[in-house]
Amino acid sequence: MKSIWKKFSRELGIIVALVILIAVFGILEPLYLTPTNLMDIVDQSVINGLLAVGITMVIITGGIDLTVGSTMAVVIVCIGNLLVGGLNPVAAILLGVLLGFVLGGLNGFLIAKMHLQPFIATLGMMSVYRGIAYLVTGGWPVLSIPQNFRTAMDGDVAGVFPSSVVILLLATSVGYVILKHTKFGTYLYAMGNNEEATRLSGVNVDFNKIIAYALCGVSTALAGMVLLAKLGTGEPTAGQGYELNAIAAAAVGGTSLAGGKGSMLGTFFGAILLQALKVGLVVLGVDTFWQYIATGVIIIVAVYLDIVQEKIKSWKFERKFAR
Amino acid sequence: MDGVDFEIRKGEVHALLGENGAGKSTLLNILHGIYSQYEGEVTIENSKINFKNANEAIEFGIAKVHQEVNLVTELTVGQNIALGYEPKKGLLVDYRGMYQKTDAILKRLGCRFKSSDRIGTLSTGEMQMIQIAKALFHNAKVISFDEPTSALTDKEVNRLLEIITELKSNGITVLYITHRLDEVFKIADRASILRDGKYICTLDVQGITKEVLINNMVGRDVAAFAVRHKPLCATKEVALEAVGLESQGVFKNISFKVHRGEILSFAGLVGAKRTDVMRAIFGADPMSGGQVKIHGKDVAIRTPKQALAHGLALIPENRKTQGFVKNFTNAQNMALASMDRFAKGIFVHEGKIKENCDYYIKQMDLHPDDPDYQTNSLSGGNAQKVIIAKWLTTNQDIIIFDEPTKGIDVGAKAEIYRLMEDMVANGKAIIMVSSELPEVIGMSDRVIVMCEGRMVGELGRDELSEESIMHFAMEG
Repeated sequence: MKSIWKKFSRELGIIVALVILIAVFGILEPLYLTPTNLMDIVDQSVINGLLAVGITMVIITGGIDLTVGSTMAVVIVCIGNLLVGGLNPVAAILLGVLLGFVLGGLNGFLIAKMHLQPFIATLGMMSVYRGIAYLVTGGWPVLSIPQNFRTAMDGDVAGVFPSSVVILLLATSVGYVILKHTKFGTYLYAMGNNEEATRLSGVNVDFNKIIAYALCGVSTALAGMVLLAKLGTGEPTAGQGYELNAIAAAAVGGTSLAGGKGSMLGTFFGAILLQALKVGLVVLGVDTFWQYIATGVIIIVAVYLDIVQEKIKSWKFERKFAR
Repeated sequence: MDGVDFEIRKGEVHALLGENGAGKSTLLNILHGIYSQYEGEVTIENSKINFKNANEAIEFGIAKVHQEVNLVTELTVGQNIALGYEPKKGLLVDYRGMYQKTDAILKRLGCRFKSSDRIGTLSTGEMQMIQIAKALFHNAKVISFDEPTSALTDKEVNRLLEIITELKSNGITVLYITHRLDEVFKIADRASILRDGKYICTLDVQGITKEVLINNMVGRDVAAFAVRHKPLCATKEVALEAVGLESQGVFKNISFKVHRGEILSFAGLVGAKRTDVMRAIFGADPMSGGQVKIHGKDVAIRTPKQALAHGLALIPENRKTQGFVKNFTNAQNMALASMDRFAKGIFVHEGKIKENCDYYIKQMDLHPDDPDYQTNSLSGGNAQKVIIAKWLTTNQDIIIFDEPTKGIDVGAKAEIYRLMEDMVANGKAIIMVSSELPEVIGMSDRVIVMCEGRMVGELGRDELSEESIMHFAMEG
């Protein structure tokens, strides 16, 4: 029991915060606690949660990916068009994943091989990908996405569980295993923490970086396809500003923008927490304008608490050391 | 530093000499207010000083010219000179007044560039002039120079020495740190010598020889712990051979062989470019010419990954920035260079990583003996052991140690020497870059001395002494 406690001590803070948040909203408005509403919160976290899976990996390397909103749009219009053209949904999903991998990998190439700063490289590509999304459709939305695809990505599993939630849980689990139990995951943390020491240890830093961005593209593509299924239409304008929500989820979940630190579970609960807050404020009938402020405040507070937690940890450590 | 007690006369050029780590920089840092916590007193013209920060020192009239040029490249010469002390006209900077003042100083120094030029267009020597101009801008009474000529061309060096002589004739006191003894004889009136953080003596430069200076600088207690306990075991089998290695503007004509079972040391002073040579061999920095042979075969190493594949290991000079990953535990750091051994496919076997760490914790007597401890929280000596364990885990044949015992306590030093002896006894080849002469003398089979990017001498084990090494290192 103690080892589990220790293992997840990092994520504990965010889980406690989430429980408190839900409890407070539940007291203020009992409707909030109904299973339907709670499931809705999770369901509505799927898109942001998926984006955050990939962006967490990228941020751990010490980078950032601002393209996720635009990458989503490219996937949405391309796959939408193919589906409308009669492509088999399974093939379409695989193609979508591949497309995300390529678009993300391209970002990684610019950063690792051409040494562009991640912020600038992805800021540029954000605009490029958005442009591509418009070009593909000529600015028009792709209409009437086939029902079988929509059911696959957003239908009900066993009558109750939205398949999109299953996709999120799967992606989060895979992300968790990658970060915690693979060589690649170890290298991501090592790179984000000390790129030079990692390189001198014989790690191909460039290659691993490119893969991190490519995987971010994959989770982005999944998010895009879930959105396509949910809406039933593929808008080239889809996903605008989503990158910031994903970054917020990761940050709230304890991922450090400085790199080298973060966890997939933290990110998952971070995405849920942001959505729980949003839904709660809506349920309470709080003015939309105040919702923005509340979200912002939560992000600041969460990250600040993380800093405090670190300080306490190192303080405890020093005391132990002094003894 | 301990019990350093000497005085500098007003208006003289006073050289401060000593080996690497003798305490020269510490002394300067105290003088310039960078270290404000120290025991003892510094008095200038009978008033006791204790600067809290660098600005207080500058305002008092104590300026420095550093070996590393520290300028804002995006600003103009004049802006850099006046940085932080710009003359104001109301709320705005009085640029015209500022440039007039700075141009006058540049003219006095005989500089060919103007205040309005950008830093980016200047040479290293010219940038150094800006530092001097800055000192004059603040009406400095005392100016210290820390290795000012290490990056200059001969012509620039001569110009700098002229200027220093001129400063002296204007009543400015100059404190001059250098490794180049001929410069001392050209400009200095007196020289103070430090060794191991202790004051040795102050000498009038006139009428003495270089040998007198060198003899006073060396003679550190050859520590009893830097000795070989096991019989020497160098073989005739060449492990690594370098032929004419070159990196443009950094080093050239580097050729040497290191044999299995041998400890080959590279000695020299700061700026001898020994680390640069090792990084180039390891593929961490590019090389512009030359050939590396490993076990007799030509190899082309362009990345550290390739170096690993050829059996090379590099234990870098700077533990924190190059040696270990800060947030990683001891177990993770020890495994980082050999993840393939601890993984099945892409998945890592945590148990094996811990096992490996436990093994080395026992072997090396690591404190605290916890695989889950963050390496960052260990003492310098223990962190170094973790890094050495990382490379022992890879089981490489040729190990390059760059300043293996820098900043490490005596006990840990002795253990690291023991580990090195074990390695050569097991047929590995060791290349050691070290600035600690007792360690070079005690541990090496052979020593190559470098100076400013060139190999200037080679000494066998029976020829080793601090004098013989310093002779090469300082005379070039």
